Amino acid sequence: MRRDSFSEYHPGITFTFFIAAIVFGMCFIHPAFWISSVVLSTAYVVSIRGRRAAKILLILLILFLAVSLLNPMFTADGEHVLFLLPWGRPYTMEALCYGLAAGGMFVTVLLWFAAYNEVMSSDKFLFLFGRLMPSLSLVLTMILRLVPSFQRKMAQIVGARKCIGMVGDVDRKSRINAGMAVTAALTSWALEGGIITADSMQSRGFGVGKRSAFAVYRLENRDVILLGVMILLILVVLLCAFHGGMKTAYIPKIELAGTDVPYMITGMIAYVLFMAIPTALNIVETVRWHYLKSKI
Amino acid sequence: MALFEIKNLSFAYPTGKGRNVLENIDLQIEQGQYITICGKSGSGKTTLLRHLKSVLTPHGNRTGVIYFHGQPLEDISLREQSSRIGYVMQNPDSQIVTDKVWHELAFGLESLGENQKTIRTRVAEMASYFGIQGWFHKNVAELSGGQKQLLNLASIMAMQPDTLILDEPTSQLDPIAAADFLNTVRKINLELGTTILITEHRLEDIFHASDRVVVMEQGRIVADDTPKATGAFLKEAGSEMFAAMPSPMQIFYGVNEEKVIPEDCPLTVREGRNWLSKSFPDGKPVKSRLEEDTDLAEIAKPALLMKEVWFRYEKDAPDVLKGVTFAAAEGELSAIVGGNGTGKSTALKTICNICRPYRGRVYLHGKRVDQYKRGELFKHNLVMLPQDPQSLFVKKTVREELEEMVSAKASSDDNASPIDEIVDLCEIRPLLDSHPYDLSGGEQQRTALAKVLLTDPKVLLLDEPTKGLDNFFKLKLAKILRALKERGVTIIMVSHDVEFCARYADRVSMFFDGGIITTNTPRRFFSQNSFYTTAANRMSRHVFDNAITNEDVIELCLENENHEQ
Repeated sequence: MRRDSFSEYHPGITFTFFIAAIVFGMCFIHPAFWISSVVLSTAYVVSIRGRRAAKILLILLILFLAVSLLNPMFTADGEHVLFLLPWGRPYTMEALCYGLAAGGMFVTVLLWFAAYNEVMSSDKFLFLFGRLMPSLSLVLTMILRLVPSFQRKMAQIVGARKCIGMVGDVDRKSRINAGMAVTAALTSWALEGGIITADSMQSRGFGVGKRSAFAVYRLENRDVILLGVMILLILVVLLCAFHGGMKTAYIPKIELAGTDVPYMITGMIAYVLFMAIPTALNIVETVRWHYLKSKI
Repeated sequence: MALFEIKNLSFAYPTGKGRNVLENIDLQIEQGQYITICGKSGSGKTTLLRHLKSVLTPHGNRTGVIYFHGQPLEDISLREQSSRIGYVMQNPDSQIVTDKVWHELAFGLESLGENQKTIRTRVAEMASYFGIQGWFHKNVAELSGGQKQLLNLASIMAMQPDTLILDEPTSQLDPIAAADFLNTVRKINLELGTTILITEHRLEDIFHASDRVVVMEQGRIVADDTPKATGAFLKEAGSEMFAAMPSPMQIFYGVNEEKVIPEDCPLTVREGRNWLSKSFPDGKPVKSRLEEDTDLAEIAKPALLMKEVWFRYEKDAPDVLKGVTFAAAEGELSAIVGGNGTGKSTALKTICNICRPYRGRVYLHGKRVDQYKRGELFKHNLVMLPQDPQSLFVKKTVREELEEMVSAKASSDDNASPIDEIVDLCEIRPLLDSHPYDLSGGEQQRTALAKVLLTDPKVLLLDEPTKGLDNFFKLKLAKILRALKERGVTIIMVSHDVEFCARYADRVSMFFDGGIITTNTPRRFFSQNSFYTTAANRMSRHVFDNAITNEDVIELCLENENHEQ
């Protein structure tokens, strides 16, 4: 992951942003809105993943095309018939536009999730929700640690058994036996480790009283300011949506809130500003560094 | 007032058939002392240490009292005990509870319900003291074994204990990480005045630092004195424990069989050098060389040959093996030494064809390993003992473990089971009905070895076979390896243990930066190195040219004495 200044903000900020972005992305099918959403989510994913974004973008492009081009094959409603399918069904422009919007929605939500995965690590999530239930969050933390360590141990056992010729790839029965043996070994190892972990926890005072939860995150000034801006923008978007600024219908006839509706323009500006926050922060950071360097 | 006062403590496990694991233990521990407890495995060291913290005390039949600051230990609240008595265990991995380094450091303080501000300060303090700021935000899974153990120590020190109990803390670490860890423990003792109670098999690293050495034998304390006095006592008593003493001490008593002056005994290499210099005041001794080994012959028909093997784990990852060329002679013990992460274990894996080299070939008995048919390679041919013997254990008893190997061979052989023979060779007959996880490190090692030997290999690969073993078990292992060599088994061993390689290997190779740098006989190999060599060599290299083991130095000293007379 590249250096991402947005993820250095308080986890509460990050989480609020993604929830809002994903919910908005799922609701707004007005073309101006979904297109800007796709563009800005792509921009952010590229800014954090760099070259590694190419693969996921390619997959999503294929998905997008599939969803949008296939949609008219299932809905024949619409006024403008583009052509007739070989089996006689009309392929309409309205259905195609609806497909494009659905595909865009789909892609943008997936892109936000991809970014969420990079930015919101498990400990940030636990920090936000763990303090409500310290014991439950401890259990979650331990599971997060156990799963990968099980995988590693299993690879180690399988590797060790390979080197003594106990692979069991001759027939199905020997394969099952080999699998059982590995499972048994893994279980003994886990139980043994569990006893030590329990000792280690108890010896460090687990269970002597009420637990507190320590966190490495602090709410700073910049966090408060950014949160204020974000909430303001979210409210503006919601207000505009409430007043019909995102009014959209594709089928049977395309009806959109046009540029002559003031709520549409305001909502659009607020929405774009909101979604541009993480990317803008990254760009500002880069520019600032270049500027500071050039002054030396 | 003593910090701990143990009075007449006896203990028996409920399943122990009335046999006492601890017998009338009397021990006083003063504030700020550094106390080493040693003894063979099974002598009750761990059981004794566990009695010093109520939550860890095993269940069983117990008599006697333990006072902590003059109060019976049971009367002190668990809360106070958990912060004042720190306990570090053997396994670096299983002791860790959470998934992040910073969270692990805070775990104990969270348990005590400390507030954010206190935790923040203490965690920051400990991270700085232990030099772990660099990996403060890392996942614990990314850490090396040494770092994990250091983290365990730091997260206990964050609770500000005044006693630190360590139960074989370095048995799973490589020598460099172990020395690092023990230095940190020493630093804590010196700078913070924390009382240290430690059991260790790597005595040479802590012996000189100890205020007192307590020796346990079959649940009793047989000696409790300064390191020098304890050494003298063990020598006089002819105890087996003497084999675990540091090299300089063993050499000292080896030379001075009769006249024992404990005060003169050297404990460190530095003291050993000075003592040797004093023995030869006019510079060079009369005889300073042992007979040279014959030159290494070209291996005509190597049992195993690696030819310019290149390997990396992923396409874009850096190369791990960079043109390894290596030959092992039939029926010899070849040792490969070298630092951590240089690719030694990976080299063994390429021999097993688990890691496939992208350039170069590996030949076993003249045939390429990737041309052996499936399953044929590991049948009567090649086998590897993994670093962690536990990863081979899949059954409930040692006997079943061994039977698994035999039935897998389709039991076409005659009924005279090969198990009996291997069991005697590895000396594990008394253990047959135990659960493999209940055995000590050395016993697990021998059980795993027995298991792999049942494939009747011609070439045996060993990955760090002496890791976590004390000196008695090393002697046993050496005996087994010698017996195998006599049967014509070729052994290739990857190891950090220079003392073991110097004593038992036929040829030693140095692995560095993905390749074999040099190969030589142990005597030439180690006498040419100045750092990567045995304690005996480091201590004697200014007077003797090529003494590499304790016995070498003793022999040369005695011969020179005879010359003088």
